[in-house]
Amino acid sequence: MALRYVLMAATVVLFVVAGAIFVGRFWNIYQVMRKSRATIRTDQIGKRLISTIEQVFAHKRMLKVRYSGVLHLFIFSGFVVLLIDVVGSIGQVFSPGFSIGPVLGMIVDIWVGLVLIGVAMAVYQRAVIKPERYHGSDETDGYIILSIITCIVVGIVVHESFYPYAAGPIFGVKAVALSPMEFLAYGLSRIWVSLGWTGATAASIGYAVGYTMDILMIWVFLAYLPYSKHLHVFLAIPNIFVRKMGPHGELVTAPVPEEGIAIRSFRDLSWKDVLDLYTCTECGRCQAVCPAHAAGQPLSPKMVILELREALKKELSGEPPIPLAGGVVSQEELWACTTCGACMEACPVFIEHVPKIVGMRAALLEDGEIDKTAQKVLVGWDRQGNSFGQPLKKRPGWTKGLEISIKDARREPVDWLWFVGDFASYDPRIQDLTRLVARLLQQANVDFGILYDGESNSGNDALRIGEFGLFEALAQKNLEKLQEAEYNMIFTTDPHSLNALKNEYGKYGFHRPVKHYTEAFVDLIDQRKFDLKPLGIRATYHDPCYLGRWNRIFDAPRELMKRVGVDLVEMPRHGENSFCCGAGGGRIWMEEVGIKERPADQRIREALTLEGVTHFVMACPKDVAMFTAAVASTGNEGRLKVVDMAELLAEAAGLGVPDTLVAAR
Amino acid sequence: MGSILVVTEILGGNISDTSRELLSKARELSQALSGEVVAVGFGSQAAQALAHIDADRAIAVTGQAVEQYLPLVYERSLLQALEQESPQLTMVANTTMGLDLGAGVAAGRGVPLVAYCNALTVDGDEIVAQSQVFAGKLLAEVVLPREEAVVTILPGSFPASMVEGHPTITAMEAASVPGMALIQILAPEKSDVDITRADILVSVGRGIQDPENLTLADELAEAIGGVVSCSRPVVDAGWLPKARQVGKSGQTVKPKLYLALGISGAPEHLQGMKDADLIIAANTDESASIMDVAHYGTTVDILDLMPALTERLRGE
Amino acid sequence: MRILVLSKSVPDLVEELALDEDNGELLHDDMTYVPSEWDDHALEEALLLKEEVGAEVTVLAVDTGDVDNMLFTALAKGADHAVKLTGDFDLATSNRKRAQAIANYLRDNTFDLVLSGVQAIDDIDGQIPAIVAGLLEWPHASVVTEVSIQGEQIHFRQEYGGGLQAEFSAQAPLVLGIQAARKPPRYASIAKVRQMMKSSTVDEIDASADTVPELEIRRFFKPVAAGHAEMIEGDPEEVADRIITILKERKLVRG
Ligand SMILES: Cc1cc2nc3c(=O)[nH]c(=O)nc-3n(C[C@H](O)[C@H](O)[C@H](O)COP(=O)(O)OP(=O)(O)OC[C@H]3O[C@@H](n4cnc5c(N)ncnc54)[C@H](O)[C@@H]3O)c2cc1C
Ligand SMILES: Cc1cc2nc3c(=O)[nH]c(=O)nc-3n(C[C@H](O)[C@H](O)[C@H](O)COP(=O)(O)OP(=O)(O)OC[C@H]3O[C@@H](n4cnc5c(N)ncnc54)[C@H](O)[C@@H]3O)c2cc1C
Ligand code: SF4
Ligand code: SF4
Repeated sequence: MALRYVLMAATVVLFVVAGAIFVGRFWNIYQVMRKSRATIRTDQIGKRLISTIEQVFAHKRMLKVRYSGVLHLFIFSGFVVLLIDVVGSIGQVFSPGFSIGPVLGMIVDIWVGLVLIGVAMAVYQRAVIKPERYHGSDETDGYIILSIITCIVVGIVVHESFYPYAAGPIFGVKAVALSPMEFLAYGLSRIWVSLGWTGATAASIGYAVGYTMDILMIWVFLAYLPYSKHLHVFLAIPNIFVRKMGPHGELVTAPVPEEGIAIRSFRDLSWKDVLDLYTCTECGRCQAVCPAHAAGQPLSPKMVILELREALKKELSGEPPIPLAGGVVSQEELWACTTCGACMEACPVFIEHVPKIVGMRAALLEDGEIDKTAQKVLVGWDRQGNSFGQPLKKRPGWTKGLEISIKDARREPVDWLWFVGDFASYDPRIQDLTRLVARLLQQANVDFGILYDGESNSGNDALRIGEFGLFEALAQKNLEKLQEAEYNMIFTTDPHSLNALKNEYGKYGFHRPVKHYTEAFVDLIDQRKFDLKPLGIRATYHDPCYLGRWNRIFDAPRELMKRVGVDLVEMPRHGENSFCCGAGGGRIWMEEVGIKERPADQRIREALTLEGVTHFVMACPKDVAMFTAAVASTGNEGRLKVVDMAELLAEAAGLGVPDTLVAAR
Repeated sequence: MGSILVVTEILGGNISDTSRELLSKARELSQALSGEVVAVGFGSQAAQALAHIDADRAIAVTGQAVEQYLPLVYERSLLQALEQESPQLTMVANTTMGLDLGAGVAAGRGVPLVAYCNALTVDGDEIVAQSQVFAGKLLAEVVLPREEAVVTILPGSFPASMVEGHPTITAMEAASVPGMALIQILAPEKSDVDITRADILVSVGRGIQDPENLTLADELAEAIGGVVSCSRPVVDAGWLPKARQVGKSGQTVKPKLYLALGISGAPEHLQGMKDADLIIAANTDESASIMDVAHYGTTVDILDLMPALTERLRGE
Repeated sequence: MRILVLSKSVPDLVEELALDEDNGELLHDDMTYVPSEWDDHALEEALLLKEEVGAEVTVLAVDTGDVDNMLFTALAKGADHAVKLTGDFDLATSNRKRAQAIANYLRDNTFDLVLSGVQAIDDIDGQIPAIVAGLLEWPHASVVTEVSIQGEQIHFRQEYGGGLQAEFSAQAPLVLGIQAARKPPRYASIAKVRQMMKSSTVDEIDASADTVPELEIRRFFKPVAAGHAEMIEGDPEEVADRIITILKERKLVRG
């Protein structure tokens, strides 16, 4: 009977201590969150709930990496079952005779088995498979946690198996025999019987050891967790619940902080950003998909989060603060990001890397630190509204050479207003494509117009370089012209412009429909505006980040290809898992430091693994520049033709693609 | 009538080519204006260097202080000479020294200056100067006052004078002004190639085909006194270091001569070199974009052209 | 150490220069103006000196009507004060007149070092820093690439053709025309410039307009433009001959 009181006392004391540590830790985190910037994350409750359930209980994202997803599901579901056991075991000790019954007991045992399988898989993954994504994670912590979990679930079975023999000596109640349904405990108790360990002393010791391994270890776990990456056990669910809901492609949401978007200290993070830091599980899925990391650059989105977390911990322990931008996270890391969003798409707990990276870039920029070529581009946007260092007046220069002139949407109403974008307007290679798109629209009798030199760069990239002020200035210029014009819909070939118009301009009250040319052309085809002959080629398609991931336009380009008779073969990484060309986030203008293999070159190699694929299809003007150079620099012009969607459609519509198109060559 | 004063630059005991260019123009103007040509030179070697130039008179400024170029002392000494001569026109080259002296003495004497001059003509009894401004995008025609003016002349504007003359040489003691001292002369470091500083670039693209062919480019660069640069694929292939890359993601260059050999002229490449003074492109494809920015083009194979050029340059 | 940085704006060469081709006049009001790039280098060098030895940096521009943004940008980059010389000035005001106004200002205000871009693209009547120095009879140097303060002395490097350089020391006051700063000029973010516009001011100083020697500009005109490359025909030997001739004509090779 004395043992019972020892167990009770230990349970209570340890619980209080662990609980205090636990609460204290959360209090600290809460304090940091309280002092950080505001962000609204409690809207759309219904949607949030559904998404949380999908992600938490159905492991939607987790299962994208199959092996890890399955093993995690085993262990995770074990945690739910653990609750049953906690109730049962503590009940036994505090209220002698309490039992959860054989059915629940069986469920506990099944999950103990699953958890053990999961742990074995996890150990195998860490020790044998060794995925690269773990590089930089705290592996010891991983093993400690796996050991604690093993200890707990083994403890569950151990004290259950001794219970029938220990019930009398410890609790003074009549023992109830184990049901064979509780198969693990039952099986184990058979062993004790055969070993003769069923006497009062042996059974009491056995039970106490099992209880310690189980309940007392759970309290230790509770105290240890907040200092380990396994804080996600508690934070993942809330973090998923307060995830960013959209519009997905909007990087800076209203209200924009008055002092700007620069992140210099932890106070400049939003409370969700702080929560993110503690929620990170160090799983490295973000690192595994990061194009900058793959290119050999010093960036890993995981390390950005971990570096910030470490620095925050140090700061909380009283060390002097280090500036976040350029200090905690190096300049090289910050400028390497293409803002492709693959990390955010991969993160199972919905951590938002890109806003943090861009915020820190903004801080660097305010201190005048920026790649010199990119600096020229910023100045060019400010002065001439384009990144080409070309006169504003020449923006509509590409329209020269068209048979029919294009309407000036500033002067007369149009049905579709075409927002052309920098690359499509100025890059001589892409101008041919732009003219081709114009001819397609004319062929389909679309009533369309452009803003001529009233259009400026959309500011999408300026914002992602961290120059919010410039973005705002560019947006204002465009909005002024857009306000004056009369139109029903905006049409663009450029995903970056599309993203700004559709998502970023919303905070200035702009909410007009914006369509990508792939979507618009599918509509035109369905309205029988073109007379199409199937092309009969085998091609693969590259989802541009700002069309696919950030704007969820995955189907239209595929539909378009289908309608022009292209046999689409997907690359291993496609759709939301597409691999960035390396141009986004201003990278196209920055020096390539430390690049071992350019993302665009890797992408071309990926396409080359597909059998019988002769064409590489793009739907973004920047991609035309990137991949034309990439097939050239990898020496694959002979094997793979890089073509734009417009070329496919023009070819199928019998429009005749000019052979000046570099892409078609 | 007014005289024309030419400020000469003397290096290694000889007057510079640019100074000879100034002298030839000065002679032409002086004939039209029936005035004298007066040359000024600095340093102990000046008297000798000026002895046979085509000028009517020459002033050799001597003294310890002008043995090496020292902006302050040169300017004050030149002002002394101008005080004495009051020429109708003072000509200096648009070199570093000319930039120091031209504006300095024009201000000191309270007379106007025409900078970046690349042509001078006489119209009646007035001198008309042509100035190249806005990075060569515009030319300006400027009438100089009859009394006195200073012009800084862009090197290469006139033929160099090869006429031998016998100016009367007078010596002038250099002005003595404290306040500025030469500490050291630093020769350019030859080891680290900075393509942005080279006057002549022999730039190769994928048309070079094989890294072994780079020796042809090296030889040509050496013979022509230039440096080898390249397009990005050549760097990507590891044939040349990144520091040699011209273009958007490389260096922006503005040499006096850019030889584009086997470069197609992608916009990213053009961005880095289109402002070169003279662009000569060799590309087997006549329709390559490089031909739109080049001043001269040829469609011969660069593997033939490079040795042919090297041979001629070496043969000189 | 008090440093004055002279800055001016010049037509943006990216855009078409506005020229009335009939009477050869520049249409100043039809052009967009940007800070002269060499002045940006001068400011950068001044800011580097400020960081190194704690100099106090003042930027100055002659009020030709469009200089506020340029001055606030300089403040955003780290300059301590901004001064605008007001008076009878506009975009067409000659460099000589601007230099005279600056020289007058320098007579009334003490500075140790004046930095400016070595030249500007519209220096038809001369480079401002050297004229300012000439008017004040101060020592000066052009094409300077590196400045440092060593005790009472100002050290600087001057660059000559072919990469040759010389290092000099001089006493204050001194005027230097900067060819290139040691680092590329820093960026001023739009947000920071806006913040400066709210939080700081530009001192306006009335500058008396003297009569200065002016040039009589007859006309501006465009040089004959080259379009597509002139193709050199023939076999490699003939082409090489022709190229050598061209290079000789242009004095790019000896002979
Ligand atoms: C973001 C980005 C940045 C970039 N930055 C740069 C940059 O900084 N610099 C840069 O150069 N590129 C850059 N590029 C790459 C650029 O797009 C082109 O791929 C590259 O400039 C092409 O190089 P090239 O002209 O040498 O090769 P090609 O385009 O392959 O041209 C080779 C040329 O050589 C000619 N040729 C072949 N054989 C011969 C022969 N025997 N004799 C004469 N001619 C011959 C051919 O007709 C052809 O025109 C960048 C691309 C991107 C997307
Ligand atoms: C800022 C700047 C911009 C220019 N822009 C253009 C342009 O747009 N277009 C154009 O066509 N040209 C331009 N030029 C002129 C062009 O660069 C000249 O061709 C070049 O400077 C000529 O060099 P140089 O060797 O003749 O004289 P520099 O090297 O400038 O030397 C001048 C003189 O200084 C003296 N000197 C030089 N080194 C030493 C030494 N070590 N010791 C003692 N004395 C010495 C000598 O007397 C020498 O002759 C520019 C020049 C400068 C400085
Ligand atoms: S946005 Fe893309 S490049 Fe940037 S960190 Fe994430 S995965 Fe890497
Ligand atoms: S940020 Fe997300 S994906 Fe990256 S390591 Fe952390 S939990 Fe994993």
